[in-house]
Amino acid sequence: MNTPFKPKITLFHCINALSDKDALNEMGSDTLELKVVKLPCSAMVKDIFLLRAFETGADGVAVMVCPEGTCRYVEGNIRAQKRVAWVKKLLDEIGVGGDRLALHNIPHGDIAEAVRIINQTVEQLIESGPNPAF
Amino acid sequence: MIVGEQKPIAEIKAMVAPYNKVLILGCGTCVKTCFAGGEDEAAVLTSALRLAFKKDGKNIEIETQTIERQCEDGFIKESAAAVSRNEAVLSLACGAGVQDMARRFPVTPVLPGVNTTFIGVLEKQGLFTEECLGCGHCELAVFGGVCPVTRCSKKLLNGPCGGSRDGKCEISPDTDCAWQLIIARLTALGQMDNLRTYIPPKDWRTSHAGGPRKLVREDHII
Repeated sequence: MNTPFKPKITLFHCINALSDKDALNEMGSDTLELKVVKLPCSAMVKDIFLLRAFETGADGVAVMVCPEGTCRYVEGNIRAQKRVAWVKKLLDEIGVGGDRLALHNIPHGDIAEAVRIINQTVEQLIESGPNPAF
Repeated sequence: MIVGEQKPIAEIKAMVAPYNKVLILGCGTCVKTCFAGGEDEAAVLTSALRLAFKKDGKNIEIETQTIERQCEDGFIKESAAAVSRNEAVLSLACGAGVQDMARRFPVTPVLPGVNTTFIGVLEKQGLFTEECLGCGHCELAVFGGVCPVTRCSKKLLNGPCGGSRDGKCEISPDTDCAWQLIIARLTALGQMDNLRTYIPPKDWRTSHAGGPRKLVREDHII
């Protein structure tokens, strides 16, 4: 019997969007492998971090940032949005698939919304299958 | 500075595909500033190529290094050890850097990862504009510091054409009319009389029309 596909997801999040990550760390170890990388501001999400996540085996990457207009550092979430768009294009070009990477605006501290997005990402990745580079 | 743009990943992938060990060599000066070939871009390209080849089931070893400049021997030497470990070099320098690397490493293929575009400035974050053609005979003093040779679409030297509208060139509403800028600048400087002097047709022999150029500084040659 085949082992069911258990997606590996790397989550980058701004600590101002999600300060309590314990709830995320406890998420379904039976259904996914979640790596959480917290950042002082989502502007710290560099292109290379996103690519390295895929290079080290992630099937999907989620970036959670503050809602537009609420970034503590004014434009961090806008920068993150532009970088994510750039890397999505790159992932499409190399055939890994830009839809494996997504940015989400999270109301401050809304863990329930973060959990919902992670679960939705798991469903999407089960449909897309594993990272084609692995 | 020299402004360039990284080549499409598919083109780069096809160039490096015949090799098993490739050095991606970034250049830390001009192309770093325009986000085409500095340390960050070299790292991103390395990661993207590794993923792309892995997806195709091909195992290519990719090493990455960035040196300060690929157009100066002193800096090029720093890459010698890494070059010797690899079958080919993908240079993220401008065309001058690629050629200098090729000259210094005569039996190693040196491939261009960047399309060299123009000599320009960083007008604002993320926007680079062409400001100099390297024509070999600068007359910016006459034109108040705005170059019609580069920035006028018709390279007019004695005033604007009839295609200037609201300060923009007829070729595109995004392109400033160089002559509008020249007149505004000379007015501000009180030097409009500069325009009374007839400028003869440009002698392009000092530009690339005269063949590859050399600059010799005897005082620096020992």
